[in-house]
Amino acid sequence: MKTKIYIISILVFCIAVIGIVINYQQNKSKKEQAVYQLLPRKGVAAKSAEWKQVQEKASNLLAAIKTNPTDTKSSLLLAALYIQEARETGNYMYYDKAAMKYVNNVLKISPKDFNALVFKSLIYMSQHHFQDGLNAAYEAQTVNPYNAYVYGLLVDGHVEMGHYDSAVIYSDKMVSIRPDLTSYSRISYLREIYGNYEGAIDAMKMAVEAGGKGDEHTEWTRVQLAHLYEKTGDFKTSEGLYSMSLALRPDYPYALAGMARVAKASKDYKKAIELLEKADALTMDNSMKEDLVELYKLTGSDKAAKTVKLLVQSLSNDANQANDDELVGHYADRELAYAYLQDNDNDNALKHALLEYNRRPLNIDANETLAWVYYQKGDYNKATQHIKSALKTNSKNPVLLSRAGLIFYKGGNKEMAKSMITKANLTSTYLDPSLRLQTENAMQNL
Amino acid sequence: MRFSFKNNSFILFGFVMVFLPTLSFAHTINYALQDAPVTDVAGYYLKLGFSHIIPTGLDHILFVIGLCIISNDVKSILWQATAFTVAHSISLALSMKSIIIAPGEVVEPIISLSILFIAIENLLLSTVKPWRILLVFLFGLIHGLGFASSLNEIGLPPNQFALSIISFNLGVELGQIAIILSMFLLIIKPFGKLVNYRKMVVFPISIVIGIIAIVWTLQRLSY
Repeated sequence: MKTKIYIISILVFCIAVIGIVINYQQNKSKKEQAVYQLLPRKGVAAKSAEWKQVQEKASNLLAAIKTNPTDTKSSLLLAALYIQEARETGNYMYYDKAAMKYVNNVLKISPKDFNALVFKSLIYMSQHHFQDGLNAAYEAQTVNPYNAYVYGLLVDGHVEMGHYDSAVIYSDKMVSIRPDLTSYSRISYLREIYGNYEGAIDAMKMAVEAGGKGDEHTEWTRVQLAHLYEKTGDFKTSEGLYSMSLALRPDYPYALAGMARVAKASKDYKKAIELLEKADALTMDNSMKEDLVELYKLTGSDKAAKTVKLLVQSLSNDANQANDDELVGHYADRELAYAYLQDNDNDNALKHALLEYNRRPLNIDANETLAWVYYQKGDYNKATQHIKSALKTNSKNPVLLSRAGLIFYKGGNKEMAKSMITKANLTSTYLDPSLRLQTENAMQNL
Repeated sequence: MRFSFKNNSFILFGFVMVFLPTLSFAHTINYALQDAPVTDVAGYYLKLGFSHIIPTGLDHILFVIGLCIISNDVKSILWQATAFTVAHSISLALSMKSIIIAPGEVVEPIISLSILFIAIENLLLSTVKPWRILLVFLFGLIHGLGFASSLNEIGLPPNQFALSIISFNLGVELGQIAIILSMFLLIIKPFGKLVNYRKMVVFPISIVIGIIAIVWTLQRLSY
């Protein structure tokens, strides 16, 4: 009897294993066959005439693909539509996955399709899979080495992987082929990384002028220009630019967030919170919640703790999807590291800071995050080691300089600490009040 | 014996068929430890391996408990533990070398099923049969793939692959030895000679392990 049960157990086990494999294959196939519909928009964007056009276009493209699954042109148009919708709504998790599905469909039929490779690279970058994005961009470059946009992707990929010299070379190449919003904005970003704010502002101005007013890309660029002014302490100019952006594109969340930062700098925390809450309700970008947490803490609001938990949960969901989803998933470890710091969970912050660093050890932002986490944990030797890497491009970002100053101060390098904090204080209104207070205290002891 | 050979071959065949088609050639690099001293690397992965058993590897803990309680014969416990160790070391190294990569959606439920199977076997058999060693070896291969997916999240320093893998495995071993020793001291030594050892110890523990394994299997299938 026992032998029979034993035999049955082995058979059941084997059948269950086969079932698990079949179930996995079926789920995989379901994911591949999933149809991604447009999701409703929020706020003013939901009432615009453009939204109706987008819906109609998506519906027609989906119908065309349903009729003819090998219609690569419609698949690419739909992928492009989803990529843009991700920008509009901030719902990158959903739309990047949707776009990747149609891009992969095209690449199955035509593995060297230039547009599909470009989109693939773009989606990978958007999901912070930078090395994958870089690889796809190089593949696209071999298909068409004369397209400026590919060089833009190579710039992005190299910047994120911390290969700044290569990024400069490709940005020169890009602007030589096509001087436009996308190439000027990348030059601006590189100049900022190398600590040249004046040059960065000039290039970003050219980028804004090269775009169409009110267009999402142009207004995003205008917001970046305003943000550059903020970092140099010129809040008046940045406020003007954010207002212009809001006039041209009402309720644009990133301009609202910019206005919130301006209000925060003038210590009008109530207004800053109102603006950020509005922006947060209009988009799914977690950076809004990160800023809100700081503001809630500043005002002593009990919403701070709840928002931190929401932020960690949201970012963790993104990170889990990145592990589980074979199509694409957002690596959110750097953001998670900061969120865990906000939640006073330094161990988890270190775990995620290391995950980010291990993906791109040469990147200055990844090093800054890791250095800051080590600082919070009291490991000043490691913090110093990584903050030195973060400073290698001579970036003048006031937050970076302040953190560097504090790390050098605790690490016993008073000269460097004084130098960093002095430079950071030139634009001290940009700094978060708690960071500013810490640097001021350190400065008194130097 | 002919019967067990057939079934074990079937399981081995299944294992090969499931995992070989998913060959891939990349694993995470741990740059943070790239230039760290050898002792730091060894210590880090040793600790990591240990913590994958105690306290975070409850599924592996239950599996090892399941292996221990089937009989009060120390030799049989050591044979099973050795088979499990050799197997998970092999699949862990192969997986970290990206020779075999298995999706978590497949590995995790099978790990739960392996725990369930060991629990059922404990209820049916009173001594360790030779094929149990082979089964434990095969299950060890699966558990090794589970370790690999966790270790892959942390990554390995590019220049110290062997050291980090060995240290991690050593940590896992220390964790397992701690469980085995605890089981020996708390269960097997005081109760192993009892006439009703199976009824009083093996059956209730195996039933609890089996129920937990069923719940885990269902949970992991619904991810």
